[in-house]
Amino acid sequence: MTATQTRPEAAPMTTGRTINLIQAVTEAIAEEMERDQRVVLFGEDVGARGGVFMATAGLQERFGKNRVFDTPLSEASIVGAAVGMAVRGLRPIAEIQFADYMGPGFDQIISQAAKIRYRSAGQFTAPMVIRTPSGGGVKGGHHHSQSPESYYTHTPGLKVVMPSTPYDAKGLLKAALRGEDPVIYFEPKRLYRAAKGEVPDHDYIVKLGEAAIRREGSDLSLIGYGGVMPDLEKAADALAAEGVSVEVIDLRSLVPWDRDRVLTSVQKTGRAVLVSEAPRISNFMGEVAYVIQEQAFDYLTAPVGQVAGFDTPYPYVQDKVYLPGANRIVAACVQALNY
Amino acid sequence: MIQPFTPEPIRFVAEDGTPVQPLPERYTPEVLRDLHRLMLQAREFDRKLITLLRQGRTTFYAQSSGMEATQVGLARSIRVGHDWVWPYYRDHTLGLAMGVPMAELISQCLGTNSDSCRGRQMPHHFAAQRQNFVSISSSIASQVPPAAGNAMAQKYLGVDEITVCTFGDGATSEGDWHAGMNMAGAAQAPALFVCENNQWAISTSIREQTASETIHIKAKAYGMPGYYVDGNDIIAVMEVCGYAAEQVRSGQGPALVECLTYRVGSHSNADADAEKHYRTREEVDAWLARDPITRLENLLAHLGHPVTAEERAALIAQTHREVDEQVLAAEATGQPDWRIMFEDVYADLPDHLRQQEAFLRAEQTGGRA
Repeated sequence: MTATQTRPEAAPMTTGRTINLIQAVTEAIAEEMERDQRVVLFGEDVGARGGVFMATAGLQERFGKNRVFDTPLSEASIVGAAVGMAVRGLRPIAEIQFADYMGPGFDQIISQAAKIRYRSAGQFTAPMVIRTPSGGGVKGGHHHSQSPESYYTHTPGLKVVMPSTPYDAKGLLKAALRGEDPVIYFEPKRLYRAAKGEVPDHDYIVKLGEAAIRREGSDLSLIGYGGVMPDLEKAADALAAEGVSVEVIDLRSLVPWDRDRVLTSVQKTGRAVLVSEAPRISNFMGEVAYVIQEQAFDYLTAPVGQVAGFDTPYPYVQDKVYLPGANRIVAACVQALNY
Repeated sequence: MIQPFTPEPIRFVAEDGTPVQPLPERYTPEVLRDLHRLMLQAREFDRKLITLLRQGRTTFYAQSSGMEATQVGLARSIRVGHDWVWPYYRDHTLGLAMGVPMAELISQCLGTNSDSCRGRQMPHHFAAQRQNFVSISSSIASQVPPAAGNAMAQKYLGVDEITVCTFGDGATSEGDWHAGMNMAGAAQAPALFVCENNQWAISTSIREQTASETIHIKAKAYGMPGYYVDGNDIIAVMEVCGYAAEQVRSGQGPALVECLTYRVGSHSNADADAEKHYRTREEVDAWLARDPITRLENLLAHLGHPVTAEERAALIAQTHREVDEQVLAAEATGQPDWRIMFEDVYADLPDHLRQQEAFLRAEQTGGRA
């Protein structure tokens, strides 16, 4: 198969304001609540407190306790209630305080949210968004730092998204809220304030399922998503200093994911290194690697490289060692380049 | 006013048909005969579906025989098509009494092209949009938190609907049950929770299920009234569920009703010989003596309007004919083809499913993609 790239480049940066990723999340929620009375927001501490990361700060004051409210401390309740509200016609945004806490809500996500459209043949549907901070790098230990996206990418019926820039965070969340499917929206918490960027003043969305090319290159495709993206950029800078031209791709959306853009890039460069911070076994990037070898094998000049988290629970003290940093990414790229 | 938290189940009619408290006027002979017709129809439906199972024309069935008064009584206590129902998997009698056509139930059990759920679910897991009868899930109690959310949405929208959520006694051990009950209580949502306590979760008895003396007293922990009712006395079920539903509808917050009843048959075809393994013949016989259909017949006789043997036989024969006709009609529509696998996973078909659909199309058409 020859993948074609006919779309214009996504995420044009024009005029606007520079904000950070968490502000982008807040703006997206506020604008969608303004636009659509069906949108309600709830979770633990999202009201007066504004969320533990302050992603929902000021929203209860602005939209009232009917639309922005604290719930009992129960992920099964939060997710399950979102399903019921969506079935009855609302557009719920359920906040789970940390992705690590989604366990008690897992049955509600996989048994109810993901399946109700299919099993009722569209008689009942659950368009909803579960927002949750995920990933490491904030000294949180294993219950505040995990990257559980693969549990959800493995469940048909769910869409799974993880932005890495304010522009995408806002545009993807708005698109998720306007869609007809349940979306798990992971927010890379270490980028909440670290990622700054321009967002337009006007209304816009970023379509789910389209990757972004962060920089163009010809020697190697470096592909990641979420919290690792700044490390991909650093690695690309380091390699550029050595004369290597790296193409950096941000998947942004895992289900659906942009096979065309990835394959087009790999067909051009002949080498791919895949980066994520989730444990390696059953890592979503394993699927990306499989599709690359299946669809672009003849173009490859080196095995597909992978940099992932280790298959251990997330360690508190060795947090920096655990995460794939720029050095480990550069090493994987060098291995591919020297193959 | 009906009192919550009674030590004994509330009842209106004794086993022999004698009223134990005055019957409200609305229970005219015509109303009682209509209830009798529905219960008898549901029981015969069970019989015929077990036959279909033995014939290999369906693969799973969970009888509700013995529980007709609970399910028909509940259906008659709510505004069908206006209120919303999150049922559990043994609720086909509830569905029938709510007006879900027998043809729809049979089509779903047979997984034919006339199945409104398009053969996606195992038999006996139907959904009916017209009745707001939300899709049944096999995972126990997973409908409880969504029911709480459904009710919260009704409150947010300011409509006078209520949400009804049913479950068996086993479900009350699940985390989802407690989560949903707590959420509805905290939100003061218009939810009516109905436990169809048939005393067995497959082979686990209610005594092994919980150290709690009853289910309804658990309502106290969630800040809602808990009503205890004889689930084999259809008038008691209608009175208590009807009262609780109106309390919920009037903004009093959620309520729990425990209907004490009994599953006379096995859990499903998976344990067809229940008496051999986990319960005694004596126990079953004792509950057969409390049979809800017989009790209503006894009441009608007591009131001077007996159901004659001829009337009974005619109704049974009519139900059997109807089931036979609907089975043939459903089977004539054929089975949904492979395309149903890919539709309704998402609102639109994403590329990865488009590619997998193309692969299967090629395989199914002998390589002609």
